[in-house]
Amino acid sequence: MTPLDSAAALVASVAALVRSKLTAFATAPKRLSVLIRRAVYDVRTGKRSSWDVTKSVLMTAFGLAMVLVLLFPLFWITTASLAEGTRLFNTSGIFPDPSTYNLDAYRWVIFESDFFFVDGDWGYPQLVLGGSGGLVSFRWAGTETGPGAVFNSLYIVSVTLAAGFGMIVPAAYAFSRRQFVGRKRILYGYVLFTQIGAGLSIATLVALYSLFSSYGLTNNLFVLGLFYAASAIPFNTWLLKTYMDNIPVSYEEAAMVDGASFLETIREVIIPLTKPGLAVVLIFVWLAGWNEFIIAQTLLRPENYPLSVELYNIATEGRFSTPWTRFAAFANLFALPVAIVYFAAQRSVEDGLSFGGMEG
Amino acid sequence: MASSQPGTGVSGLARLRSALPFTSRDWGLLLVAPGVLLFSSFMLYPIFYLFYISLTDATFAGSVIGGGAELIGLANYVQLIGDSQFWTSMTTTWLFVAVSLVLKVILAVGIALLLNHVRVAGKRYMRAAVIVPLGFPGIFTITVWRGMFSDARFGVFNTILGRYNDIMASLSAPQALLFDVPIGFLSGRWEAFFAYVTTEVWLAYPFMVIIIVSALQDVPRSLHEAAMVDGAGALQRFRTVTLPAIKGPVLFASILTAATSFQQFLIPWVFNQGGPSRQNELIIVYGYREAITFNQFGLSAAILIVGISFVGLFMYVAVRYGGLAEGVGDE
Repeated sequence: MTPLDSAAALVASVAALVRSKLTAFATAPKRLSVLIRRAVYDVRTGKRSSWDVTKSVLMTAFGLAMVLVLLFPLFWITTASLAEGTRLFNTSGIFPDPSTYNLDAYRWVIFESDFFFVDGDWGYPQLVLGGSGGLVSFRWAGTETGPGAVFNSLYIVSVTLAAGFGMIVPAAYAFSRRQFVGRKRILYGYVLFTQIGAGLSIATLVALYSLFSSYGLTNNLFVLGLFYAASAIPFNTWLLKTYMDNIPVSYEEAAMVDGASFLETIREVIIPLTKPGLAVVLIFVWLAGWNEFIIAQTLLRPENYPLSVELYNIATEGRFSTPWTRFAAFANLFALPVAIVYFAAQRSVEDGLSFGGMEG
Repeated sequence: MASSQPGTGVSGLARLRSALPFTSRDWGLLLVAPGVLLFSSFMLYPIFYLFYISLTDATFAGSVIGGGAELIGLANYVQLIGDSQFWTSMTTTWLFVAVSLVLKVILAVGIALLLNHVRVAGKRYMRAAVIVPLGFPGIFTITVWRGMFSDARFGVFNTILGRYNDIMASLSAPQALLFDVPIGFLSGRWEAFFAYVTTEVWLAYPFMVIIIVSALQDVPRSLHEAAMVDGAGALQRFRTVTLPAIKGPVLFASILTAATSFQQFLIPWVFNQGGPSRQNELIIVYGYREAITFNQFGLSAAILIVGISFVGLFMYVAVRYGGLAEGVGDE
């Protein structure tokens, strides 16, 4: 398979996934009506007592109410993001008046904040042939101020993903399938560190700052990306290793009996069967680079701030007067891509988490 | 391992393998080494360095780097033991871990049981919805919670409590059932503590729900039916069928979320920086502030080393008794 083919296959499988999710979502009302009609029919024909059906309805209503209460904060902030220009905390209640809904806050994020371009001054990438940047380089044209926080975030995440995947996948395979010196000891070490990524990095911040400064590595997005990859390694290696453990070794043996080389076995057997696990690792490694901000704020200078730090700065602009609408709009644009991917891969995430947790 | 013999075709890797200085059995180490190296240099090395700083009288980053700090042995640790702020922080941290853990377990078991119940329609959608908090960045959700816990008269919770008061008053309920609004959620010690715990529970329940639901789904339906045939009531069935199935996973998830609660930094930091007047500084916030605000790098490092040791203890217990590392041994 050429890279182009695999890219096309990836796009196709993502499209199929989205389509199936949408179909399931669109047909949900229909299934609900079938469910109701069957319940009515069962009561009429005496198969179920009406008390039995009432109990089900009450339980479902209770479940729904609980979901609504739990998701209330997210609902509140989403309505808040639509109400730029109105006072959020006022006598009329918690939610802004729907008649004042507008998208001004989003317009502010896109065209005035540093989200895409500094001060929202949009530009476009331009290829440069020759010049000082080598044979072909590219620069930003049409903007006076330069690219904004989203490009810093994307840069960090690309480094984190590349380094993370390059180290996690081979290591998980080796742990799952090979015996080698120190295997158990390293694995124990990793397990000890599985749950303490984020808190630990804040705890070591004092040391990190001193070390980074003395090696002259502060204000370096590439090193920061590597750092996030390092913090994601133990948990994700362990996760992927337990996932691979559940793939029967006999599949590989069969492929080898058929004359497949080692690399072919990896490509044709291991990688395809590990895809759900890889999806989960992708999400977690992405989140490791995308969300963290305390280390980033300490080590970077303002022109290199990623989105997470910008979001934090908006949240704490005034200690007691967060500009809620702008904060909400910024946060939604920041979190939504991840939330959507997360939602699409939810099944895999659940499987992955319970694998990493419970299975041996 | 059966798969260590590649096929008859001489692949590039096989040739490379014969050139390596280890026995062919050990080449898996090569695949693991880069990750170990990266992890050690960015995570383990700083921990050792932190320990070194904790033994010095460093006051700010410059004195660490420039070599202006001198080794003073365990003086920082001795100072900590006599520091009342340290004990306040320790007590608050443990209380925070304990209270939020109990509430988390109750809430998560409740949600998991409800969303796995035969009578609930559309439970798959509801399960998808309740774990949404896991998909949002902490800084976002925590700031939102700070907004809801606003001290202002028209903050979200104060408004809700105001409505509740109105309703109760119209029912002419006794004064004792009413709230004294507005409540200064972020400016009182226990009010702020309550706000921390609520937020922590909300942040951590999805993880527990996922683990408990997957344990519940492994319980065969026939077990429940058999218990029902034997005339067991709902409570009895919970005790004899459900509880044994979820006990292990709940214990496991408890240890892990307790370890994360113990290192909670963002909630106190974003809410009110561990206030009011430093009474709610969880251990990491305490250490961070000593370094950033008060320029006490040595002392701060000692605090953080203590914090890290406790987290290490959590993880050791998880590995030892929670069966966390069951997959490490040879299958």
